[in-house]
Parts: sequence; C-alpha cells; structure tokens
Amino acid sequence: MKKIDKTLLLDASTRLLFVMTDTQYEVLIQEFDILLEQMALIGKIEGVDHVAPMTFSLQNETMQLREDVPSPSLSQTQATQNATFVSEGQIKLPKVVG
Amino acid sequence: MNVEAVIGLEIHVEMQTKSKMFSTAPVTYKADPNTAVVPLDLGHPGTMPVVNRQAIINAIQVCHALHLQIDSQLWFDRKNYFYPDLPKGYQITQNARPIGSDGWIEVMVENQPFKIRIERLHVEEDTAMQHHYEGFTLVDYNRAGIPLMEIVTKPDIRNGAQAAAFVEAIRQIVSFLKVSSGKMEEGSLRCDVNISVRPVGTETLGTKVEIKNLNSIANVQRAIDVEMLRQERSLIAGIPVQQETRRYDELKKETILMRKKTDAVDYKYFTEPNIVPISLSQDFISNAIHQSLALATTKRTRYQGELGLSEYDAIQLTQDVYVSEYFDQLTTLGNHYKLYANWLLGEIASYLNKANLGMLAFPIQPRYMALLMTMVAKGDLSNKQAKELFEIMVKNPGDPRLLAEKMNMLQISDEGYITQQVQEVLAANPQSIIDFQQGKDRAVGFLIGQIMKKTGGKVNPTLTNQILIKLLKSK
Amino acid sequence: MHWLDHTILDIHQALVKKTVTPLQLVEEALRRAKADTWNTFEITTEAHAIQQAKALTTPEVNNPFWGIPFVIKDNFSTQGIQTTAGSNILNGYIPLFDATVYQKLIQAKAILIGKTTLDELAMGGTGMTGHKGYQYNPFDASKTRQIGGSSSGSAAAVSSGMVPFSLGSDTGDSVRKPASYAGLVGFKPTWGRISRYGLFPFAPSLDHVAYFTRSVEDASILTNLLSGPDTNDATSSTQPLPVYHFSQTIPGKKIAVIHEVMDSIQNPIILQRFKQTLEALTKAGAQIDYVHFPLALLQAIYPTYMTLSCAEATSNNANLDGLKFGPGYQGKTYQDVMMQSRTAGFSELIKRRFVIGSFVLMKENQQDLFLRAQRVRRMIVENLQKIYQTYDVIYLPAAPTIAPKFTDSSDRLSSQYLIADSHLALGNFAGLPSVTLPIGFEQNMPFGANIMGRAFEEATTLEVAYVVEQFTGLKNLSILTRKPS
Repeated sequence: MKKIDKTLLLDASTRLLFVMTDTQYEVLIQEFDILLEQMALIGKIEGVDHVAPMTFSLQNETMQLREDVPSPSLSQTQATQNATFVSEGQIKLPKVVG
Repeated sequence: MNVEAVIGLEIHVEMQTKSKMFSTAPVTYKADPNTAVVPLDLGHPGTMPVVNRQAIINAIQVCHALHLQIDSQLWFDRKNYFYPDLPKGYQITQNARPIGSDGWIEVMVENQPFKIRIERLHVEEDTAMQHHYEGFTLVDYNRAGIPLMEIVTKPDIRNGAQAAAFVEAIRQIVSFLKVSSGKMEEGSLRCDVNISVRPVGTETLGTKVEIKNLNSIANVQRAIDVEMLRQERSLIAGIPVQQETRRYDELKKETILMRKKTDAVDYKYFTEPNIVPISLSQDFISNAIHQSLALATTKRTRYQGELGLSEYDAIQLTQDVYVSEYFDQLTTLGNHYKLYANWLLGEIASYLNKANLGMLAFPIQPRYMALLMTMVAKGDLSNKQAKELFEIMVKNPGDPRLLAEKMNMLQISDEGYITQQVQEVLAANPQSIIDFQQGKDRAVGFLIGQIMKKTGGKVNPTLTNQILIKLLKSK
Repeated sequence: MHWLDHTILDIHQALVKKTVTPLQLVEEALRRAKADTWNTFEITTEAHAIQQAKALTTPEVNNPFWGIPFVIKDNFSTQGIQTTAGSNILNGYIPLFDATVYQKLIQAKAILIGKTTLDELAMGGTGMTGHKGYQYNPFDASKTRQIGGSSSGSAAAVSSGMVPFSLGSDTGDSVRKPASYAGLVGFKPTWGRISRYGLFPFAPSLDHVAYFTRSVEDASILTNLLSGPDTNDATSSTQPLPVYHFSQTIPGKKIAVIHEVMDSIQNPIILQRFKQTLEALTKAGAQIDYVHFPLALLQAIYPTYMTLSCAEATSNNANLDGLKFGPGYQGKTYQDVMMQSRTAGFSELIKRRFVIGSFVLMKENQQDLFLRAQRVRRMIVENLQKIYQTYDVIYLPAAPTIAPKFTDSSDRLSSQYLIADSHLALGNFAGLPSVTLPIGFEQNMPFGANIMGRAFEEATTLEVAYVVEQFTGLKNLSILTRKPS
C-alpha cells in the first residue's frame, strides 16, 4: 500500500481535478491515519481475506434486460440548457489536445 | 538477426441497435448534434443504466462465431477517468468478467489457413464526439452510450497481411450477423494495433507500441508492415524501442509519434453497483445463437457447394451482406445462379457505384430482377436487350415482361416462324447459298444479318443460326 | 389543532368529508414554511403548490395522498425545479426529468411545498455540511443541537408540523438517525423495493429511498405507493407489495436484541425506556432474546462504511465537472475548467471524502482497503442472516443519545466511535427493511428505537413497530402536538 504523505494526496486530488489547501491536506492525513489503522484491524478478523467481496447484498429478481425500443430524444435546447458555454447546439470548452 | 513481430489487435465494433447500450436514446447516424440523447447520456445526476437486451444477444452471436466461452452471468464494471467525452466521469464496461473469453478464428492468408486466438470479447458504451476548432472544442453527445463490442486477440499475429485478414473476417462476421455495419471509414469498426518485435526464438516480449486512428483495413496492413520495419531497424541498430502511441500517415507511408506512453493509467475498476448481475440461462444463449443470421463463411460454402459457383464468385458475393441477401432472394425465385452472380457483380454493382448507392437502395425488387434473368436464360432476350431493359427498370421499376413486350423486344423462338423467315431470306439471296456451298463462311454471317434486318433483330440468334445451317446444308 | 397536524390517514378522512380542502392545507403549510427558522428549505414551490391545490376539487376516496402537502430532499430530480443536493457545484441546476418516486406522488395528487436541505451530496450525518449552513432541530429551542443527517431538512419539516410526510434518502442511517433525533417515524424499506431513478446517487449499493412520517401506518401506505418495479432502475425489485396486518398483539413474533450494541449504550434513560418497550412487546405476545454478534464485525461497521461509501461516491460524482450543468468556468484547458468547477463547487469535507474514496480504489490499495471492506460486508451480512434464521426482527435503540450538540459534532473521521452510533448501517449493508420510531424523551429531546426485519418483510417490521407505537402513545408526534411531560 502506498504511504500517505502530502505528495501522494496532492497527486490524488489533482487527479480528482480539485485543489486543496495545506491545512486541508493535514486534516486529511490525520483522517487517513485513523482509517488505515481501523482497516488494518479489520484485516485481523479471522477469515476475512478468504471471503468473496460483496457488492450486492440481495440478488433480487429485478428489471433486468431492457427491450431495444428507443425513446424520444431531448431537444438540442434541452440537452444544452444547463451548460454555461454552448455553441452550435454543443457544449463548448477550451480546445482539447491529446 | 532474425526478427519477428508480435502483434495483438483490439477491435471496437459499434452495434447498430435501435437504442443505446444503457440508455433508451435512439442510435442514429448523422443526426444533428445533441438530438439523439437522453439525460443519462449527458451524465445527469440520478440517471441509471439499464442493459439493452438486443446488444447482449448481438454479443452472444459474435461470441459464438468466434468460438468464445460465454459467461453465464453478466457483470459490469466502472472504468473511472476524467475526459470531456466521458459525461459520467466513468465508462460502464466489463473488466473482470467479459461476456466472451478464450476463443479463436481461422482466416485465410495467401490461401493458407491461419489461426488467431481471441482473448476476450466484452460489451461497453461509446464516448461522446469532440469536434476540434481553432481555440475551442465542441462536444456532441449523440454517440455517447452507443453499444460497443471490444474484441481483443492474443498476440498471435506476425504481419500486416494476417492482421488485415483478421479485421476483414471480423468485418464480415459483424456485418453478416447485422450487428454492425462494420465500416472502418465510418468509425463503426475501429482497430488498434499493439506491436512489438523480438529476435526469433526468444520468449520475452519487446516493448509494445500502440498504433491508433487507423481508418481502413488496407492501412492496418500498411501501418503494421512499416512499423515492423521501423522497430526491426531500431533493434538491429541497438536503439531501444520506446513505449509510444503512434498513428499512420497515409501520404508519408510511415507511422508518426502521437504521444509517449506514460505510466499506465489506474482506472480504479470496481463492480457497477447499479446493474445487478444478470443470469444468462442456457435457453437465452441458445436462442440468441439460433437467431443468428448466416455467416459469410457459411454462405460461401453453400454457394460453392450446393449452387456450384466458383470460389471467386462466392467470395465476391459475400463481401457485402446486403448483396448476398439479394442474391439469396434471387435463388428462391429461380436457379440461374451463375447469371445472377454475373449481374450482381457486373451491371448491378456498376450501377450502384455510379449512383453512389448501397445495395439496400437498389431500386429493382428481386422478383423483377429474377424475371429479367429468366428471360435472358431462356433466350427471350439477348444480353444487349436485357441491359437496355435494366437501364429503364432502375429508373422505373416494373415487370420486365410487360416492359419488353411494350418495347417489342421479345426474341422470337418459334421454330416454325424462324424457319419461314430463313427460307424467305434464302429464296431472296440465291448467291449466298452458292457461296456457302463453295465454303465461303461469310455467307452465313451475311444471311443472319439479312434475317435480323427482316425480323427487326427479334429472332433468337442461336436458334436462327441452327435452322439456317440446317437448311443450307440441305440445299 | 390544524388538520395539517394530523397523520396522512386522518387528514384524508377530513378531506373526503370536505371538512378541510387541499388549498387550506397547502396555505397553512406554506405559512409555516415561510416562518421556518431552522434552515429547512433550499427552495419553496409556493406558486405551483397553490395552483395544484386549487385544481383539486373532488376528493379521491381511495387515494390517501390526494391533496396532502409534502416536501422532498433536494437530492431528488424534479423537472423544472432547481436541485442542488446541498452543494454549490449544482447551483442553478434545473433537472430535465422527474425522479420516479416524485412522479408517483404527483400522480397521486400529493402537493410539493418545497425541496429541503441536506448534508452536501447526502454525504454526512450531522445536517451541518449543506451549502445553506446548519440545520436546526425544531425540538431544540436553544438552537444548539443538530437534527442529524443527511436528510436534515426533510426531518425538520415533518417534526415542526409543516407537512405530515417527507422524502429523504438513507445510505448509512440518513433517515433513521434523524428520525430518532426528531421524534419521527423514519422508514427505509428493502433495497430494490423503491426505484432510485432520479435519486442523486451517493453509494448505490447502500442507497435507499426512505421517508419520514408521524405514524407507522402512514409509513406503510407510503411504502406501498412508492414501491414497485421500474424499467428505469435495473435494481428495482418485482417482489409483490407487502400486505400489512396491524394489531395490538404479535403472538409468536421472535425479536432479537444484540448484546454488544446494548453494552455500548450508557444513557440510563434511553436504556430504561427501551426496556419498557421490550416489556410491552413481550406483553403483546413476542418472544425477546438477547443475542450475540461478533464484536469485531460491529467495530468494523464504521470504517467499512466509510471505505465503501466514499469509494462509490467519488465515482458517482465524477459527472460534476461544470461542463454540462452547474456553474461553468473559462480556462486554457479542459482540466483547467473542470478543476475550477470542482475546487469552487465542493466543500472541504467532500474533497477529503473523495480523496479517501479514490485512494481505497487505487490498484495497489484495493485488496487491503476497498475489497477488504467488501469482504467484511459479506461477513456482516452472513452473520445477520444467521440471526434471521431464528428471529423475525432485530430491535435496538436507534441511537445512544439524544440529538448531539453542534459543538460536540465534527465532520472529521473519528477514532472514537460507538457501535451504538453505527449499527443502523447494518440495514444498508444487508439491504433490510428498517424503521425508527420515537419511544421517549430526555432533556425534552426525543429519542427512538429501531426495528429491522428480513428482506421484503416490510409488513412484519412495521407490525412490530405498530405495537411499540401503541404502547408509547407517541403516534403523530411533532413540536406542535407534543403533550407537555
């Protein structure tokens, strides 16, 4: 597991596309210490690593596969109405390179 | 040093379902921007994915054609990253449990069979389209969410020809199953190449280079061949190959660096919690396979075997699924298979080419085409006359028999009538009879000409010839 | 007492008899909403509510929701009505579609009064982190205590008497804990019962639509109105609707109380009152047993919940980038514009949670963190299933204390946490139906007990709750109906 330090957290927050202050990173480091300690304790629970991970607690009979029937589309106006920068019916952003 | 290339391909196939993979928005081509979208395609909060049944059926059919093991459960994962063409900030895909795994396909390369193993086939959703301009980019979400099949081969391929054969085989499979139009030029079939080289006899793989943005099967082959050479030269010169993403430049006929490969991105895959795993029962899978349309390979076997066509014709007829379907319909209306093949690959192809139309837009219905062919086969029409009628029918489709009659085109094959015409012409040309008896072959041609003139070209030439020779010999 | 201060079922009777009209109810609700001093609303929908109320002239006898005012947490998509999920990143966002549950209520002619405040993006349990500021607890005149969260505004609206029911969401306890702090019935049915289409996701494998009412019966009719398969939600269940048989007696029902959770509660008044309810249940014919649950697993609840919910939340909120909706920014690159949006739009707490969420999902960390948490979840669920092989419900105090003071609360991860404070999350890990209802008071602040049943056994769960409600006499509790002690 990667060691928690400010460099790592800075990298993580940059990848999440936001900026945090130094104080915030310090609080976060403390939170990580707590969480990782608790997760390490969990690691000591007997048999925990031999059990399959669970995403779904209930395998319901559910609405599973959908028939291939199209529904009406939004209009161009509706599709773009919540965006701040719109041009030619499309969402506009700085030129994307790479 | 003998160097070999180790090549794996990643093919993305856009499915032509009516609605998208996880959203109900229509799948359209060439629609105005952002007119084929629902809130899920724009990543609106609170929207949820629901799996398209037809997309799964399509995937099963392709898995079957590629001899892949089909998973009995459908699981999905999130692939998390930020990019403007990814509205949710993640793509729903299948990482841990692809629907198909461990398959293979045999392709013909220079008339030799070559087997390529297939690692996996999984379903996922397409991204939005970005249009780049001077200083800004515009995003159109029509494509976002369209169903994709991703097919990954094992690195069994060794050269461009094998790769091209593979991509062509995939194209035929997906277009004949009608799960995709399979056109690289239109983007409904995409091919990424992973290629490295190593000295022959070694097991370790060399540094992999990725080639993207290939727009035709021919370019897949060319790109691989030049890249093989480039890497080989590098190896021999002792310069290590860099891990890069490159593209193929058609004019320069070389691969060009797009970007250096940095550390592999960590996509933080985890199970998609909004799609409860779906059981694919044996019945469901069997039914899906059973519904499959005939593959090109199956049709070729039939065309050559049962219908007696040449290998060449069989291959040509199975380049385009709609051409082969048209041919199949003709074969239910008559048995002039070679004639049908000739016309489809000749007159019809040429017409479509000039008019810039696909087979589906061909205006003459199979039954009228079949009638036209029958008339030619029976000798009611000469080839020349048939072509004339064809030109008219493409503008005004209709029953060729009525048309031929209206235009006084029907060849007469009545022996009694022909005999009479021949006798009348012989009577009017006694010198020609003498010429014939003296061995001058031109006489026959001259007499046929006269008969044609007399009958307005309507008599069956073969029959007329027969009768004329018989009568001449009897004089 | 205004008709608005009654239960849904009682108001319905009055509406049918035309003793009161929808317009009168709505006007009173809006008056109270305008007088709100607890920070309950993101927005009120006054004009629309009045227009709808005026249009309702013929009561529908078999539809108890006809003409009933309600509020909904501002993380439900409401077409044409601003929805921010308590976060600045969605300021000005006008949804294009209705959440399924909202649509069902509108179709039943219930009337929306407003969208209520919540902890930002539903990721909190104190009601202190929404972008409008602290949510106050109507039961606390000193305004020093929280109402809990994340469904804070929805709780306040019902406990202050503005409306007889409200919708919230429950991912770890976000309706059932505030219900305890605000003297309400807070019900979270089985995962999959109610469509989540239109609920802004926090952690889909743990998220549930949940709601506040002032009576158990009201919770039952709301459950049946909102339940049902939805083609827009692939996780929604096709199980048939529950059928309830409310009765003073519940002969033969087996009730389990978990030792380890009880041991972690110190408050003598809560403990004593809880015991009294146990006696009442016994008198009603139930068999009560104290059972054990592995302590290590109970202690694992909090970090497991943090790990799983932060991970899913980070992914769910990756769509919030300022491009398609929310305030947009200009910049040199797409990373630049997205970064400005997400830096300005998310509070500090949310950023910390997202960093945790993305950290636990990193390739090199997944085994030890995210996947391990998923394994623990399975162990917890399996241990619960063992209990349910014998017992119909698990019954426990909903929280170890009354509503905490703001000064005692923090949004930081704590190394000190009580099992009794996190056991409600068992209902999210296992997706089981779980209801909190008020049982008593301490320092004039309410506290509640919680009943959790087997999957899809909403009927049994609420039938047991009904017995408790009958015993306590706290049906229809609000600050306006509260009888002085």
